[in-house]
Amino acid sequence: MPTVAPDKILKQLADLWVSTARQGDGDGGEGVLRACAMTLVVLTEESEDVSTLGETLAALMPEHPARAIVIRLRGAGERDLAERVYAQCWKPFGQRRQICCEQVEIIASDAALADVPSVVLPLAVADLPVVFWCRSPRVVQVPEFRELTALATRIIVDSGAFPDPVAALQWLDEAVKRPRPLMADLAWTRLTRWRETLSQVFENRQNLARLAGTVQVLIGDTGAVTTRAFYFGAWIKDGLESLRATVPTIRIVRSPMPFIELATDGFKVRLEREDERLITTIDNVAHCTSLPLPTDYLLLREELGIMRRDPVFEKTLSSATRVAYATE
Amino acid sequence: MNWSLRFPLCTPFLRGEQPACSCYFDFMSSANPFQDPLRFERRVPECSVVIFGANGDLTRRKLMPALYRLAYDRRLSAGFAVVGISRTPLSDDQFREKMMEAVKEFSEDTNFDEDVWRAFAGGLFYVAGDISDPGLYQRLAKKVCEIEKARSTGENVLFYLSTQPSQYAAAALGLGAAGLNRASNGWRRLVVEKPFGHNLESARELSNQLHQVFDESSIYRIDHYLGKETVQNILAFRFGNGIFEPLWNRRYVDHVQITAAESIGVEGRGAYYQEAGALADMIQNHLLQVMATIAMEPSASFRADAVRDERSKLLRSIKRRNTPDEILANSVAGQYGPARIGGQDVPGFRQEPGVDPNSRTDTYAAVTFFVENWRWAGVPFYVRTGKRLPKRVTEIAIQFRPAPLAIFSTNGDTGGPDGAPNLLIVRIQPEEGISLKFLSKRPGAGMNLRPVSMDFNYGSSFGERSPSAYETLLLDAIIGDATLYTRQDMVEASWAVVEPIENVWRENDWHFPNYPAGTWGPKEADEMLARRGHEWRKP
Repeated sequence: MPTVAPDKILKQLADLWVSTARQGDGDGGEGVLRACAMTLVVLTEESEDVSTLGETLAALMPEHPARAIVIRLRGAGERDLAERVYAQCWKPFGQRRQICCEQVEIIASDAALADVPSVVLPLAVADLPVVFWCRSPRVVQVPEFRELTALATRIIVDSGAFPDPVAALQWLDEAVKRPRPLMADLAWTRLTRWRETLSQVFENRQNLARLAGTVQVLIGDTGAVTTRAFYFGAWIKDGLESLRATVPTIRIVRSPMPFIELATDGFKVRLEREDERLITTIDNVAHCTSLPLPTDYLLLREELGIMRRDPVFEKTLSSATRVAYATE
Repeated sequence: MNWSLRFPLCTPFLRGEQPACSCYFDFMSSANPFQDPLRFERRVPECSVVIFGANGDLTRRKLMPALYRLAYDRRLSAGFAVVGISRTPLSDDQFREKMMEAVKEFSEDTNFDEDVWRAFAGGLFYVAGDISDPGLYQRLAKKVCEIEKARSTGENVLFYLSTQPSQYAAAALGLGAAGLNRASNGWRRLVVEKPFGHNLESARELSNQLHQVFDESSIYRIDHYLGKETVQNILAFRFGNGIFEPLWNRRYVDHVQITAAESIGVEGRGAYYQEAGALADMIQNHLLQVMATIAMEPSASFRADAVRDERSKLLRSIKRRNTPDEILANSVAGQYGPARIGGQDVPGFRQEPGVDPNSRTDTYAAVTFFVENWRWAGVPFYVRTGKRLPKRVTEIAIQFRPAPLAIFSTNGDTGGPDGAPNLLIVRIQPEEGISLKFLSKRPGAGMNLRPVSMDFNYGSSFGERSPSAYETLLLDAIIGDATLYTRQDMVEASWAVVEPIENVWRENDWHFPNYPAGTWGPKEADEMLARRGHEWRKP
């Protein structure tokens, strides 16, 4: 069976830096600047488009320089393990010096997953956080998952990709209750700009005074009900409850464009996406701001900036789990 | 398909979190329950901004692009409004058109989005009038009232004086006479652009006039240098890390150089510039504030007044020189003369349009400051600024003392790389960042040392766009955070240091022009450092 030796990978990484530095000097540049703020382990299926993932990682590196370890899962088949080492470099505009981050790619069949932790452990950069980004919902179900992520500071999943939203919330809620690792959900991250905009509406004291009288909450979603809707509903419910307000029934409706609408007697707030814009309408006065589509890059960029507990997420997750059960 | 989320009646964890005290209800009823400080940007209250001098350069180049960018980034409240004030008669729509052109022309790294602009422009209004006309303030009061009703801006208004300094007092007093300085259920703040007076006496007089109408806590004296990311990062670097502070004193620091160099000349501002000069235009405000940030004591907290107290204390600790001989030994004025740069003839200052051919204005100023406290006694702070220097760069270089014994030098030679000093360089512009220079062994046989640089670059380390200084400062003023604004006592302390120098310079017979355009300033500035065994860096 093919094997992977961590020592060999570390030697390859060291050689990579020497050759990259030589190349940088040869180009008449000012050498190479090595940057690393964390170890980012990406768990993905081998069938996934590697170039799209590579572009996302490349885009993240300037802001979150990391040693990236991409573990591509081959699925069923013979016990198989292989590796590749390369550097991701960029030259900031107007500068002569290249900045480079390391990337290691490990391909493992499911049968070889048990061997992966012993490879990843020595490859993690000392004294820096280790973040696992689980792109494959399947991987959280494999028996080796707990062992594989044992060294993680934070695990990022996307419950929106899980087939059963209720089960996904339940799994996450249990994981969050453990002291380590910290958990993050990209389905929640997708709501940040929406939540921020809605929150901004209630920075206005007049609007805030009307919030407790909310009689209707509508959440528009484009497809089947996902964890996104449960999160959004639970977050609004928590907010209203903290005002000691009566929480109305929150309705989720199918809509061509995602939206959220809160209404009281004589006052209505509606947030609606239109392409890359968010239209905020307060009492028929519309206000338009930019709202880029939430790409993996934008979502990860936000999550990699958080290395501590996220109390609002954890509270909302707990509420969303109970809401989802009650709704089932 | 419609779903309804049904909530279980029992929410034990929520109840468990609620404190039993009766004031809880009042607090919660006034707090926004949707806040998420971990992920959201700072809370921004609803408000309107009134700009005096709305047709001026500053409004077009800086203020409006900054406000538009804040709107683009969803940083402003939905009902946010701007009222432009100037003498030129314009309709609201004409004002919007002018501002749109300004945003398109001067937004450096922001896409112009038609829809975002349309929403933003819906909150732009214009009132024409003369600042000295009491009728203007009545019209303004009416407009502010209309906006409050239509756009729910509360009673919060930020007045921004972007006019000639001579009009500051008139504008403030006009606002006071119309009752616009007070709100029963909101705040009123006044932002003032530099210069804050032209000497100590006029600075005090201006403050007294402003204080007739606004409390000091409502006056925001803007110094855009303090809004720059790297200047703010000095505080993070010094007080967020434990490893540098032990070195930050006279025992380890040999000297400090602060440079603010411009490669351009006065660019059509000759008439204004010859009234100010480099010392008053740059050192009195921007560079002394930067120096105070570098040298101040740690504050007890990051509250605005705690930080400003320390800055103020540092400014008051700068040694004041009183005799002409002392002042001339520790300061140099310069003025650029004509030169040929890159095959192009460049005029001298006296040949610039609008400049007196016999002008004695300093386009270059270099001053040696000493801070009289236990931390910095005896450490020179060399501060220089100038127009038409070889490149545009603003940086602070902290030069550390050499190792006590140069064990790697040969033949006792300490001038080679072995003797190269450790330097910590904080670059404010153009490439914001921090570099640490130290010695390292060259690979190979022998103990050959060479200086290497460890760089932190804002652009490449964080990748994301840094907000402009005006975005930061406008938002701070709206939020009510005065940390990066200058307080009256700081202004007075700066003038107390700079005014004696100005007085002596005025009487001194400088042989202007004394440096050609495109060079690093007059030779007297080099000699000033050489007398203490130092030399200027060439950034």
